[in-house]
Amino acid sequence: MNGLHVSSIAAHSPLRHLSPWAAGFFAAALLCSVPLTHGQDLPAERPDSPPITLHFVTWKADHPQAWNEAIRRFEKAHPRIRVKREIAPHSSTAYHDLLTQKLRNRDVSLDLFFLDVIWPAEFAAAGWALPLDEYFPQNEREKFLPATISSGVYRHRIYGVPSRIDSGMLYYRKDLLGKYGFSPPSTWNALVHQAQTILQGERIAQPLLRGYSGQFKQYEGLVCDMLEFVGSHNGSFLTEDGRRSNLTAPESTQAVRFVREQIIQRLATPAALTYQEPESLAVFVQGKTVFHRNWPYAWGLANDPRHSKIVGKVGVTPLPRFSGGKSTSALGGWLYGISAYSPHPDEAWAFIEFMTNPEMQKHFAIHASLAPSRLALYADPEVLRANPQYKNLLPVFQTARPRPRTPVYPIVSHILQRYFSRVLAFPETDIIEEAHEADRKINRFLALMRDARE
Amino acid sequence: MTPSTRDRTTGWLMVFPALTFVTVFSLYPAMDSFLLSLYSEFPGSERSFIGFGNYAELFRDPVAHQAFIVTLGFVLLSTTLELLLGTGIALVIHERFKGRGWTRAAVLIPWAIPTVVAAQMWRFLLNDQYGAVNAILFGDQVDAYVPWLADPWMAFGAIVLADVWKTSSFAGLLILAGLQVIPDETYDAARIDGATAWQRFWHITFPLLKPALLTALLFRTIDAFRAFDLVFVMTQGGPGDATQVIQFYGYKTLFTEGRVGYGTTISVTVFVALAILSLFYVRTVGSKLLQREPA
Repeated sequence: MNGLHVSSIAAHSPLRHLSPWAAGFFAAALLCSVPLTHGQDLPAERPDSPPITLHFVTWKADHPQAWNEAIRRFEKAHPRIRVKREIAPHSSTAYHDLLTQKLRNRDVSLDLFFLDVIWPAEFAAAGWALPLDEYFPQNEREKFLPATISSGVYRHRIYGVPSRIDSGMLYYRKDLLGKYGFSPPSTWNALVHQAQTILQGERIAQPLLRGYSGQFKQYEGLVCDMLEFVGSHNGSFLTEDGRRSNLTAPESTQAVRFVREQIIQRLATPAALTYQEPESLAVFVQGKTVFHRNWPYAWGLANDPRHSKIVGKVGVTPLPRFSGGKSTSALGGWLYGISAYSPHPDEAWAFIEFMTNPEMQKHFAIHASLAPSRLALYADPEVLRANPQYKNLLPVFQTARPRPRTPVYPIVSHILQRYFSRVLAFPETDIIEEAHEADRKINRFLALMRDARE
Repeated sequence: MTPSTRDRTTGWLMVFPALTFVTVFSLYPAMDSFLLSLYSEFPGSERSFIGFGNYAELFRDPVAHQAFIVTLGFVLLSTTLELLLGTGIALVIHERFKGRGWTRAAVLIPWAIPTVVAAQMWRFLLNDQYGAVNAILFGDQVDAYVPWLADPWMAFGAIVLADVWKTSSFAGLLILAGLQVIPDETYDAARIDGATAWQRFWHITFPLLKPALLTALLFRTIDAFRAFDLVFVMTQGGPGDATQVIQFYGYKTLFTEGRVGYGTTISVTVFVALAILSLFYVRTVGSKLLQREPA
């Protein structure tokens, strides 16, 4: 259908009886309607096919120039595909709400989106994301970090291609630790000890220096930060089989108590309860805290003289553990997905393939400090020159711990957020009691979910 | 005198557009929401009819209870403060003085700013590091700076404060309208009889102002009950759900968790509560006041 020419329409249709003006008008109208209805029949690469516009719902990027450049390059490589970006909120939850509303309405003017690593189960169960198994074969998947691939899989089908990897890590002040003869802490208790020694020593020179900044506001980031504390104390949110909550286990409640008593009440200020990533990073780059937990992107900003007062004084290391536990880093990151209602899945795939190829991932690693999801790039000299810290952090990326994988994750997350925020913000609450309440609620929803599906 | 058939037909024809409008844009969505609230729906599963099951769950849900209490506290506190401040504002801008036009316009500015923008502004003002509130209160004593939104009670107070700042002038505007219909002669007569300023306010202004106060009360209660944007921008319901008002809880269950049935149940419950409240205001308090002849 796409190959029809104006002349052939005019010669073989009733239009030939009309005046040339009217025929021209009808032909033009027909042509205009073609891209809307027949885009998927043929790849848009054929020189005589009409251009196609892909609608990509994305967020406001931290490094907009890197993204503009990437899309410009894609459009140059695929001249008959245009990419129209719709900018959604930067917050994962607000982005989720906007996206799922469009998908619930089966919006056909949406082709591509980002999936936060916690969404594939939900999107798959609801039928919103197109399974990509045919486009994304096993031998291709093996080139990516395993944690990023498994975050896109639900019930043996894959729904997303990892654009990058995110995982929590510990940033610290190299200069301060050096001054007091410390090496980066490997346990949480050592971190507390080091921070207190440094704060004590600096109390005249820098009375406002604090020990720790992280993300403890009631929102999704709180779940990630707490996963790292609980996980490094051999605890977990759900049991191994993912069927029940594991919040009341002593490993878990003890870790929560440690956060309340040692981190919030001693090392951080109560203001940490209002911090998301940007606020907590601001405190660190202004030189007001010794330790800071964040994602890989913080490296670039902490070493950028336009934003940071501590350029060159920053170190980064895997997060500490409790004695007897294992360092645990929350897995984050974004996957490219295709809407199940997209009229242009082939072209959308062409876009994903382009954006996740080694060359473009390298572009993003160098110009936007996004840690690549492709394993091979961690040996690339140019990537390592821009991000020397990747060398030490590759083991962290390879072992990052996912948050619970379930279609009811948004519900589970809200229960966790309420639990953690309550015990941290109200120091008089009984942690065990609150854990039991959260535990009951999570079990109920996991059971309801199973009943509905089995 | 009974109207003729023709008059009736004309009457119906005339109200037809308004009736259609109300049916399509108010009645249908409300009924549809009610129907939705009778189903259970999870992401990825078929929805099933559960009658009033969602309402039974709402009745037992401790998170919803807390959200209702937070909402009630917010409504009571913010409405009271807004009516008090609104009356003050109205009395001031009712007086004749130089620059009254400008003052009236200036007073309305907070109300004219979109709530989301105002909420963002308050979030910046109350920030622990660079917020103007700390800078004004403590100046260079940086170690005294308070993280206002980190404490559950202060965060709640901050939401009330932002709402009062924003909508007192709206209450003031409604009350000003009430002030303007009180005839000046009443005051002149009272002055001749030797009434003091307070007596004039208490025995003339206040009784005659009651209908306007009631209107303002009704508007502000309904609005405060539906508060959402302040919480969404300033606190996201935290810390520890201390500022989670009922509409924000409804939003979270419906849009983030995808529990369409339960989320709609919360909306319908708020709708019914507000309908009852409005009826109560208009029927019991309102009719008496509105029908009474000015003394």
